Amino acid sequence: MKAKETLIPRPEQSASIADPPPAAASVVGISKRFGKTSVLENISFDVAEGEVLVLLGASGSGKTTILRIIAGLEMPYTGKVILHGKDVTELPARERGVGVIFQSYALFPKMTVEKNIGYGLRIRKRRRKEIRQTVNELLSLVQLEEHRKKYPSQLSGGQQQRVAIARTLAYKPEVLLFDEPFGALDTQTRVHLRREIRALLKKVNVPSIFITHDQEEALELGDRVAVINVGHIEQIGTPFEIYNHPATEYVATFLGAANVLDAVVGKDLLEIGSAQIPATLDPEKFKPGACVKVIFRPEDVSLTRGDFLRPGHARIGVATIEEITFVGAYERLRLRLDHPEECKTDETPYYLTTETPERKPTKSIMVTRPKPEASATRLHVGERVVVALNAFTVLPPQSTKSPN
Amino acid sequence: MSTIASSMRHVRGFDVARPLSIGMLVFMMLPLVFLPLASIFIFGTSNGLDKFWGALSAPEAVFALKLSMATSFWATVFNVIFGLFAAYVLSRYNFWGRNALIVTISLPTAIPTAVAGFALLLLWGPYGTLGRLLAPHGIQMMFTASAIILANIFVTFPLAFGVIKPVFDTMSHSLEEASATIGATRLQTFWHVTLPSLRGAIVSGALLTFARAVGEFGSTILVSGNLAGRTQTAPLYIFAKFNEGQIEAANAIAIVLALFSFLIFSVLFFARDWLDVD
Repeated sequence: MKAKETLIPRPEQSASIADPPPAAASVVGISKRFGKTSVLENISFDVAEGEVLVLLGASGSGKTTILRIIAGLEMPYTGKVILHGKDVTELPARERGVGVIFQSYALFPKMTVEKNIGYGLRIRKRRRKEIRQTVNELLSLVQLEEHRKKYPSQLSGGQQQRVAIARTLAYKPEVLLFDEPFGALDTQTRVHLRREIRALLKKVNVPSIFITHDQEEALELGDRVAVINVGHIEQIGTPFEIYNHPATEYVATFLGAANVLDAVVGKDLLEIGSAQIPATLDPEKFKPGACVKVIFRPEDVSLTRGDFLRPGHARIGVATIEEITFVGAYERLRLRLDHPEECKTDETPYYLTTETPERKPTKSIMVTRPKPEASATRLHVGERVVVALNAFTVLPPQSTKSPN
Repeated sequence: MSTIASSMRHVRGFDVARPLSIGMLVFMMLPLVFLPLASIFIFGTSNGLDKFWGALSAPEAVFALKLSMATSFWATVFNVIFGLFAAYVLSRYNFWGRNALIVTISLPTAIPTAVAGFALLLLWGPYGTLGRLLAPHGIQMMFTASAIILANIFVTFPLAFGVIKPVFDTMSHSLEEASATIGATRLQTFWHVTLPSLRGAIVSGALLTFARAVGEFGSTILVSGNLAGRTQTAPLYIFAKFNEGQIEAANAIAIVLALFSFLIFSVLFFARDWLDVD
């Protein structure tokens, strides 16, 4: 159920197929039940050496359970956890050599920073000299040398987090697992910290899995992102793929704003109401006459007066501007598109967009325009404009519902 | 405790209620607490410090004090270890009958101490349920120092548990999970992570238990036999000397016990911050 892309080229796809990097950590067919409720269904993914994978999902999607299963703090109902080629599903947490950075950091309150960092080596009965040396190296790596004698309660949130990371790096973990690591911090600190941590992870080259519900964080941190929805993976791919080529409507709407329109498949084109836009579609998945969903981002829309079209844009209709909001870096417009016409299907359409389905033959869409464009062509509420798409994604009919 | 509520400012001018209510509080406490305590010291030292010291260094008095300390010590050791264990089990695992166990552990404080002593006699005494079986083997628990320890354990049973359990309950589970993922065994986790966080609770629990055990009278007098120089603890000594009309001897020990409990509660009060230090 791959999304079919039309106007945006897919970069660096061939490279990863030609040379698949070996998996440092794999999860194979994991499912989990609590009592009779199934919380995870057939979860599988790989993390390559040095790669950062982000599990992105709303709260209650089961992402934390996946992390706890990899860490050995929870047993899966079915499936396997493989770390560097070794099946560790049956091993207890302490024999897995996995580093977990808890949301609350879980630093030991009665130990100093250096005692916390050296803990993993102390319980492994390493020699004092070796412990001291490793702790010194890690302290300078996370830049906390001057805080070595302090207790966790004397450190800021960001410093505590660095101690937590250093504490797991000390025993050279097979994989690092981050459970919503920035959840407890304010917006400015989290933006700053995630850049710092990304740089740190690239330096130490340990495969990492992050858990988050913040899409911006996922896109920025992850080499790849897996979008999780009620216990299954909706899509897994690079941030670019997930954002520009969402495989399902859920992925499209969960990562940023998205507009959804019904369309009918024609020969090398799509019919959206009375408009026709060129599209090369896989005939296997898109039978002529089938009802599909066209998904596009607010920033992929261009608005023009009259019938002038910018090159590379496909006209989808005429709309009335209903609202213009200034939101700093860009301008956000709400438009009502004329006659997009819903497909005649028996099912009630399933929308996850910002607006509710209406019976009217118009549909509201969201558009954003960057500042230069907004100031070059001023638009006003009530004005009629031509709506054209620069990029869009087409979803086959069945993908609007979650699989199985 | 350290913060004093800012005085009320919703009245105009001088607030008469303030000095009046403070004075009233102290006045009510005078006959109830302050004066009884003061009279021990006044009477104990009225005949000069020599007499006081002489009464205190009488062999029977020294023995009684030593016995009290020793029996209370062992009862404290047992109850702290037990309280730690019970708190661990009851806060970690949820099982059928858990609440019943918690109530049962707390019960001994609600039972009159004389009843506790009597119950122990019925179990361990020469004709008791268990004592009858042990007697032919020459094992006699009652009327020995062991009986005093047993009685002390019984009446102070829930004290350490009561202090330690809330700390266990509020302790973040992720600390132990973190320790496990780092590679520690359960024992290592308990020793390096759990126990240090309980330090304050353990010390407070121990002091409470010890203070309560040293002063125990009702159950001790029943199970110990009150034999001077053999099973007579300090409170029993006070009672015995008072009955014999030796007020000075009784008073000397009373002063020591009063000072002792005062000391323990001062430690508990003023060292609270240190005990809970992170």
